[in-house]
Amino acid sequence: MGEFVFQIGFVVLMIGLGFVAGSIAESRHLAQLAERERRNGPFLVTQLKSFPAYSRTDLAPQMIVGEVVIASDYFKTFLASMRRIFGGEVRSFHSLMSRARREATQRIVEQARELGYNAICNLRIETADVGGSTSSKKGAAMVAVIASATAYTFRSPSA
Amino acid sequence: MIVTNTETIAGYRIAEIKGLVQGNTVRAKHAGRDIAASFKNLVGGELRGYTELLTESRRQALERMLAQAEQLGANAIVNVRFTTSAVTAGAAELYAYGTAVVAQPGA
Repeated sequence: MGEFVFQIGFVVLMIGLGFVAGSIAESRHLAQLAERERRNGPFLVTQLKSFPAYSRTDLAPQMIVGEVVIASDYFKTFLASMRRIFGGEVRSFHSLMSRARREATQRIVEQARELGYNAICNLRIETADVGGSTSSKKGAAMVAVIASATAYTFRSPSA
Repeated sequence: MIVTNTETIAGYRIAEIKGLVQGNTVRAKHAGRDIAASFKNLVGGELRGYTELLTESRRQALERMLAQAEQLGANAIVNVRFTTSAVTAGAAELYAYGTAVVAQPGA
């Protein structure tokens, strides 16, 4: 009986830790993403195959790749396992996926800017499998995103 | 070598198509990284070790692809795509493929 209580207590503690640390990590990341997206505002991001408003420079177009792996926290994983009983939208993982995609995109934008480009086209975002994410027995969830795009220089039509 | 994931290269004309080039790699991180990752699964946040793993794999796969293109006498690779698959837990296969071409400046 005592052992059982200890086990339950341990799980509750983990969920609590996951909730506190996970929420802090998430809100910090979201704030950071918003700031970076604001800073990279005029940078043109499209997923068109052509090069919209391309302007010739010495800089040849170049592929840029960005990748990121983000882990879920214990609380989110717990919520998801609850959701799996009743069915429906797993909201806790929804934000995890979008954070990973935004992060990967921002990494491409930042690399491209550093190299002197001001636009990317043909942005492709896909989830990767780094092993264990789908087959893990503990159900440890993580999102691996690999995004690629072609950086080029454009001149805005209004300018 | 110009590498793009678009079918064309703005400002360049594709003079000759050399064929499909590809590169793949399977990499794993040491167990220490996996342990660190399992801690991260408690508190959330970026798994830097695995991000690094992806970056290294991607570089290696691209290098192999570039070497093939060079051998074919191409000076550019267009329409590059990536796919990944999990071979076993903690190991990832990354496969990069594209079309090797000869590109000349000029629209």
